[in-house]
Amino acid sequence: MNKLYLGAIVVTVLMLIATYVSFDFKHGSSDIVNQIAILGAVVLVIATIFVVVKYVRQMQTDTVTGELMDENWDGVGEYDNPVPTGWAIVFALTMIWGMWYYLVGYPVNAYSQIGEYNEDAKVLNDKFEAEYKHIVGDKLVEMGESVYLSNCAACHGLNADGIDGQAADLNVRIEKSVVKDAIENGSNNHLLGMEMPMPDRNGLFNMNTGALITDAEIDAVSAFVANGMSGAGADVFAGTCAACHGEDGKGMESVSPNIATYDSALVVNVIVEGKKGAIGTMPKMEVLNKKQKEAVAAYVQSLSN
Amino acid sequence: MFHWLEKNPFLFSVGVFLVIAFAGVITLIPSFAEASRPVIGTTPYSTLELAGRHVYIKNSCNACHSQLVRPFKSETDRYGDYSLSGEYAYDRPFLWGSKRTGPDLMRVGNYRTTEWHENHMMDPEALVPGSIMPGYKWMFTNLADIDTAYAEQITVTDFFGVPYNKAVPMKDGSTKTIFMGSTVEEARADALAEAKLVAADMKNQDVKDMVAKGQIPEIVAIIAYMNSLK
Repeated sequence: MNKLYLGAIVVTVLMLIATYVSFDFKHGSSDIVNQIAILGAVVLVIATIFVVVKYVRQMQTDTVTGELMDENWDGVGEYDNPVPTGWAIVFALTMIWGMWYYLVGYPVNAYSQIGEYNEDAKVLNDKFEAEYKHIVGDKLVEMGESVYLSNCAACHGLNADGIDGQAADLNVRIEKSVVKDAIENGSNNHLLGMEMPMPDRNGLFNMNTGALITDAEIDAVSAFVANGMSGAGADVFAGTCAACHGEDGKGMESVSPNIATYDSALVVNVIVEGKKGAIGTMPKMEVLNKKQKEAVAAYVQSLSN
Repeated sequence: MFHWLEKNPFLFSVGVFLVIAFAGVITLIPSFAEASRPVIGTTPYSTLELAGRHVYIKNSCNACHSQLVRPFKSETDRYGDYSLSGEYAYDRPFLWGSKRTGPDLMRVGNYRTTEWHENHMMDPEALVPGSIMPGYKWMFTNLADIDTAYAEQITVTDFFGVPYNKAVPMKDGSTKTIFMGSTVEEARADALAEAKLVAADMKNQDVKDMVAKGQIPEIVAIIAYMNSLK
């Protein structure tokens, strides 16, 4: 054994000891990343020493073999050695891989930002479905509140009071001015997906009197509806509005919306269709998914009930 | 066989450059050209909207608000579809922004209304408790610069062929034509007509009076611009 090998062994051992000393086994040994790092350090030490020894040996002992090629550049020549087998195999594999990448790999498996988004969205949508698809009751209201706060509160306010008339006050079903406006001007907000508009005051007859609804009657019935379907004006409601909105004001499917209380179908329809009425314009909220719309409906119902 | 190449390093370098540059050109240019074409449904800005865009730039709205919905679920849930490069085809310059102190405004026209902007520009905190956005009260009295907007319309039509007064395809298969006046008077009249539609939805009486008198305050222009962001 010559000095080179001896020196190599000494340096290896010293560096391994240094690695051992510098590693905090008490805290670090259970961590997989630390374990891989320490393993890497050991491999690095051994490999480095091995390679250094190999080439130093080669410099010490190698002799000139083979034939020089004909050409030389300013006296610097090149051996006419055959291509090393390993190198040739890797070169051939690289060419095959190049073909694959050019014809199949890149066209078919190319990275796409949108592709990643679609995968990501699918995972999250599935997770949402799995976790929230069947929630009901308080959980649904809870979700509705959080959706409300991030999407609706900007106009309807944190307390759902409509911020001084900027949007509908969701703590009550309907305000008197809104009822009045609908009666006087008619209304069609596609609230239940229907095309038939509610007529304006020139199309609203009071069955009790057999004549068009009067200002006093509009006032009375508006107060009655805004008051939660109670108080004076019940007779006007029965004579004029009940034909479409039902005697209890709860609306009829595909005919009229519920004006006594909020119901899920109504709120969901307002979210889907938007609304333009006495208070102003509400945009469609297209970013919400089906369950979130139901949740907002549940939350809105919970406010006034 | 190729020693002559090795003996002419400059020529060799130029050759390598040309080969790589050619590969770059044929891979980059077609997809770039495709992606920068206007998306169906993207229309040029009307005169009033463009004036509003100038108000947006003048007040550095882009310092706090971005106009770029990234393709992440958290963003598309909040703002709507992710942005496509073709949607900026008529933005000169684009207003992507690089910092979101406030929310993204790429599609604000979908979920905010004229009245909301009106109240919000006057006093943001009244609508959004805790908002650090300042009020922009001067927009209610300063007049929008319609003439400059019209000048920009002429420029972009001449230099970039922006299709004003031409049918632009919309998503539902119909077409829409964005009008550009042939004289500055016509452009002013067109902007005023559009401003009247916006002002009809507003509540501020001073603004309504100004528009009725034929003046266009900045607030009307910027709301028209906001509503056009979809």
